[in-house]
Amino acid sequence: MKNLIYKEFKLAAHPTTFIFWSFGLMLLIPAYPGYVEFVYVVMSIFFIFLTGRENKDVLYTVSLPIPKQDVVKARCLMLGIIELLQIVISIPFAIIAHRLYPGGNPAGIDANVAFFGFVFAMLTVYNLVLVPSFYKTAIKIGIPFLLGLGAMIAFYFLAESLVWMPSGIRDFLDTTDPAIMTKQLPILAGGIAIWGVGWLLVYRKAAANFEKVDV
Amino acid sequence: MEILSVENLSKSYEKFALKNVSFSLDQGFIMGFIGRNGAGKTTTLKSMLRLVHPQSGKVTVLGLDYAENEFVCKQKIGFVLGGVDYYPRKKLKTITDVTKRFYQDWDEGKYLDLLQRFELDPEKRIDQLSAGMRVKYSLALALSHQAQLLILDEPTTGLDPVSRDDLLCLFQDLIEDGEHSILFSTHITSDLEKCADFITYIKDGEILVTSDKESFLGAYRLVQGSTESLTPELKVKLIGVRQHKFGFEAMVKSVDLPLPSGIEVAPADLEEIMIHIERE
Repeated sequence: MKNLIYKEFKLAAHPTTFIFWSFGLMLLIPAYPGYVEFVYVVMSIFFIFLTGRENKDVLYTVSLPIPKQDVVKARCLMLGIIELLQIVISIPFAIIAHRLYPGGNPAGIDANVAFFGFVFAMLTVYNLVLVPSFYKTAIKIGIPFLLGLGAMIAFYFLAESLVWMPSGIRDFLDTTDPAIMTKQLPILAGGIAIWGVGWLLVYRKAAANFEKVDV
Repeated sequence: MEILSVENLSKSYEKFALKNVSFSLDQGFIMGFIGRNGAGKTTTLKSMLRLVHPQSGKVTVLGLDYAENEFVCKQKIGFVLGGVDYYPRKKLKTITDVTKRFYQDWDEGKYLDLLQRFELDPEKRIDQLSAGMRVKYSLALALSHQAQLLILDEPTTGLDPVSRDDLLCLFQDLIEDGEHSILFSTHITSDLEKCADFITYIKDGEILVTSDKESFLGAYRLVQGSTESLTPELKVKLIGVRQHKFGFEAMVKSVDLPLPSGIEVAPADLEEIMIHIERE
């Protein structure tokens, strides 16, 4: 698997993957919705599949002496690493944003502990739709991407609308008060758990789909 | 020793079916897998390697059941679908750096020798290589991981005559050690005249003939005669008959000889055999 991960990053990773990691900087834009940064990471995932198709990545990979399901496993691990790093790199920017704008983000949820929990869940929605759908054909990526993006944006509106709810929910979610953020930890833990279990389900479904595909 | 055996490989699509494809190849020989475009050559090769799922059939490589020992078998097979056309914007050295990690018996010294022998520059990108050089690069990769069986899908397609001849001579050099074997598909009959020891002929998803080249050539004869000599009894023996104002020309199986007097009989080459069979 180590070799396949190496292959994924050396051959399959799209340059935007590495560029978009720096988009944690977007959290420093005043009065700007924090979730938007993570639309870029899903774009880079789309580019990986798109350029993979143009580069005949699937044919190259299945020709190697590996089990067929490892093609999917390596891709899931790579995408998981990309998403995780995107979030981890964003955390220092969230802290800086808190220092720069003590009044919080008027354009949506503050980049706090709960925010990152929702980000994990939002990415899971995208993963669950896009990846198994792509591996039904291992060629068609346009429709899976649009479906995945649509589902993710629907979740984004849902998550963002929570901070416009009655003041109890809003006061709990839309704050960088350290005392309240400690209480938000279950949301973060829940988001991480959903993301982890989500990837497991994504892999199982995608690998089962890919097994049936004639390359 | 038998290096490859394919038994009753079948695969059905809506408009095409591979029907009980069977053939075998011994170590140290070249087999040409011939048929016209769409006859099922690529589907057969992909089914053998389980890139597509055959409905039935068994493939054995070096005595091992391929389905059960895919990992071991792939270490011993160099598989090339028409030259390297994946990751065209990557340099050779990058592709090699990734690919070699998957092979237990990778021989770096041999790889460097082959690069030199094939005049391949590792700093070049795949899309900077000619079609012939791409095939050579894939051969360099396959031979460096000690592949004993090379399966090549139309490696000579798109090559100029000189490059084609160069590649075919290389095939012959490769099998001289008696350890390597090559199975290559083609629709160019002159490729087979030059270097194939065995021929497997596929038509509409079925194997028509699999035999050594001499027997294959000896099994058919070209015939021609006048219109009057084209009797109903003779007609049933003819393959791919074409009538013209002076008479007819066709092919017959050698077992159907001798024919009535007045009919000219001549040896057939591979191209003529293919044309007559496909004309049927």
